[in-house]
Amino acid sequence: MENDLLNFALKLKIMQTEKLIQSLLEQVRQIINQVETIKNYDLRTLTWKENETSWNMLECLEHLNLYGDFYLPQIENKIKSSRFKPTPEFKSGYLGNYFAKSMLPKAKLNKMKTFKDKNPLNEKLDKTVIDRFISQQIKLLELLNQSRNVSLGKVRIPTSISNLIKLKLGDTFQFFINHIIRHLQQVDRIKAAMKKEGTRVADLQHAL
Amino acid sequence: MKEIIALSTKTITLERNEYLKVKGSIDCNVYYIESGTLRIFISDDYEEQIIRFGYKENLIAALDSFLTGKPSELYIQAIKKSTIKVITKPQIDAFLQVDANRNLWIKILEDLVLQQMEREIDILTNSPRERYERVFRRSPQLFQEVPNRHIANYLRMSPETFSRLKKC
Repeated sequence: MENDLLNFALKLKIMQTEKLIQSLLEQVRQIINQVETIKNYDLRTLTWKENETSWNMLECLEHLNLYGDFYLPQIENKIKSSRFKPTPEFKSGYLGNYFAKSMLPKAKLNKMKTFKDKNPLNEKLDKTVIDRFISQQIKLLELLNQSRNVSLGKVRIPTSISNLIKLKLGDTFQFFINHIIRHLQQVDRIKAAMKKEGTRVADLQHAL
Repeated sequence: MKEIIALSTKTITLERNEYLKVKGSIDCNVYYIESGTLRIFISDDYEEQIIRFGYKENLIAALDSFLTGKPSELYIQAIKKSTIKVITKPQIDAFLQVDANRNLWIKILEDLVLQQMEREIDILTNSPRERYERVFRRSPQLFQEVPNRHIANYLRMSPETFSRLKKC
């Protein structure tokens, strides 16, 4: 009873596990489709940046790949070694819910700091970054499917911040996917900024 | 079939390589392909296997999900830019309240069973050459619409074997 009150106070949603998995699968489908479109851009567009310290599109995707390199094997191993049976319902953890929500882009841009080892700024990147990203998403789909055999609440995944801070598998999936959504919106912004500058250059040429 | 297509109130466009459905999702829609080509395949950690293709003016679906309402293993992906009309399960259910419509629906399902049998025989045919010839006779369309590597996968042979068979 006390617990229930506490949960109510923290507004932690209880979700049907299958509903959660369905919604995550759908988000990944949309992510793949968005990046399949990006794949058609030429290298000049993919490597265009607004200024020296900002990322280009490939750098955004490579940043996501670096996170994938960390989380996907972790998730895979934990699913494989888990003995916790699946449950029909999933309840977010306090911390996991907070992390996942904080990742989502807000109406007004909330800038975040990037950890050094996850910053691909000015690395030499080519289109293989995109193929790597898409194969990571296919892997993520596999893991979402496999997660039906374990408990999304009892399996815990260490975060990249610290081995000691662990999140429930269900929260890790949402956190990981929200992080991707966040940076794909950044890709959209880069595209818009490039278009704007393109128009400026064209206007200038016209004036000359 | 036009009675069923007319039920649709939603049209979507997929660019090449975009996914209509991914593994594990529950998808109870029937899709009518106005234009384009799609492939239906399954995939594990190691490889993909194409089950069938959908061409212009075909109906496609993740039939297992459609019938059971449960998750389906199938991926459905556009291999060309495609325009697709969505017909939902509730729309079909309402349509099947009318007796005459039910006959039409049975006809469509019967036709599908026959196609599935042909496909089953394909897969169980040992000789790559025979598999190739069976499919060539049945749907020459395939060889015009679909890239070779996908046809080879559909025929369960390497791209090299496929191009050798194609030459003779």
